[in-house]
Amino acid sequence: MTPTAKPSHELSVAEAGRALRAGTLRSTALTEHALARIAALDPLLHSFLLVTRQRAMADAERADRELAAGIDKGPMHGIPYGLKDIYDTAGIRTTCHSKLLIDNVPREDSVVEAKLKAGGAVLLGKLATHEFAIGGPSFDLPFPPARNPWHVDHFTGGSSSGSAAAVAAGFIRVAMGSDTGGSIRGPAFYCGIVGLKPTYGRVSRRGVFPLSYTLDHCGPLTWTVEDAALVMQVIAGHDPQDPASADVPASDYAQELGRDLAGLRIAYPRSFFAQSEGISEEVIASLDAAAQQVAQLGAAVDEITLPDFELFNSCGRVIAAAEAYAVHEQDLLTRPRDYGRYTYQRMMIGATLSAADLVQALRLRSELTTLVNREVLKMHDAMITANGLSAAPRFDEFHPDVPPKMAVQTMPFNVTGNPVLAIPTGFSASGLPLGMQIVGRAFDEATVLRIGAAYEAAAGWIHNRPELELRIAV
Amino acid sequence: MSTEDDLERELDMLLAKAGANVPSDLKAGVLDGYRDMKRMAAMVRQPRTAAAEPSNIFSLKGFLA
Repeated sequence: MTPTAKPSHELSVAEAGRALRAGTLRSTALTEHALARIAALDPLLHSFLLVTRQRAMADAERADRELAAGIDKGPMHGIPYGLKDIYDTAGIRTTCHSKLLIDNVPREDSVVEAKLKAGGAVLLGKLATHEFAIGGPSFDLPFPPARNPWHVDHFTGGSSSGSAAAVAAGFIRVAMGSDTGGSIRGPAFYCGIVGLKPTYGRVSRRGVFPLSYTLDHCGPLTWTVEDAALVMQVIAGHDPQDPASADVPASDYAQELGRDLAGLRIAYPRSFFAQSEGISEEVIASLDAAAQQVAQLGAAVDEITLPDFELFNSCGRVIAAAEAYAVHEQDLLTRPRDYGRYTYQRMMIGATLSAADLVQALRLRSELTTLVNREVLKMHDAMITANGLSAAPRFDEFHPDVPPKMAVQTMPFNVTGNPVLAIPTGFSASGLPLGMQIVGRAFDEATVLRIGAAYEAAAGWIHNRPELELRIAV
Repeated sequence: MSTEDDLERELDMLLAKAGANVPSDLKAGVLDGYRDMKRMAAMVRQPRTAAAEPSNIFSLKGFLA
């Protein structure tokens, strides 16, 4: 136990950082504890594809020496983290959870990895993903799918499956994910943690295996909102070598944390999700309660309407299918059996689209982006809406021959590129997490983090953690 | 011929045009996805304003002297 009376895996980035700087905790101790926890519990969850023990201990020893010498590299200094296995790591295998890249060892780091390394963070390993960030949950890949720490028979969401499972299990407090149609926010919802999809262009995608060039976003999954803000301090910024990177100064993402919500106007598009096919009553009730809580914290919450979700979703799915097919075309045509079933089946759809389909989707994207940014978010500081439509399904609910459809309403904000925070809003009757999305103005991550932090503190869901040790004991 | 047969024939034609030989045991999943994608592609093909066009994805800003 640490001096704060919490087990060290429950310390947030900020709490661990304070203890590291005060000399009451060493990065080597934090890292050894995490490695021991992974060794004991990850056989249940399969969240890690590769544990980089040697690298982790070297990083931690260096961090301890530097911090003892008064060298402070920022909020992630000495803090363990993991990377979804689509982030390139120099000299460390990066597989995309696929047979196609099973022996791939990049020569250079992704920009995010380089920034975390330069910030003195401690790499614990590479995390499970749906194959090429699209294919799962699959049992026909070189590695098994990650499992949900709240109940191992249930889905984690995808594609940042290992990232979410590892954070929810308390193996790491920070994992990097990617989000093309909800791949950070869906797993955050199903695993009951925080996920931030930053504004498109806010975090460099260079060195991250592409799924869809104009929809891909990189961002963190964390246990707390503050931790997401602290990671952003390290990874955000312009990268002239990423064609999508925005030359917009990065904010101080933590500066708004701790403020109440007085003076904010928040849009609540209730009909956008409440009439959706398959939405559970408990999700609707949890969102209504969250909206009420946000109002009690001082914000003015206005019910608004948005165009049909299916319009946003169709726009994003057409673009994603066309772009993903363009990335994988040669391998899909020549090595179909090297992909997992679901991956191949999902990606081959791109072959059926016409050039006109893609252009029409791009035209619609322009209209929808204008509507959200020039109308809804001109009048409002942010918007809160649904994330998943029901709690995590069981793996055995999925048809083996037909890829499952993901019951999440996340694609609209890949289409528009706005920043979105996924945050827990409670639990289903069966004890599985529920959550919401907080959508902000372009490049205004600070406000969504402020709203998220205020809600998180008031709601208190953060104090519930999965009881993995009990499952091992059983 | 049923609508479902028509859909499968249409998919076969598009896959052949793409040069794809889909393994038979993977066909059901591709057909299921095609059914959804066909509906979604129709949804994006609606009248738009002249301002809604994707020229913004092409920029020479990076080549400024």
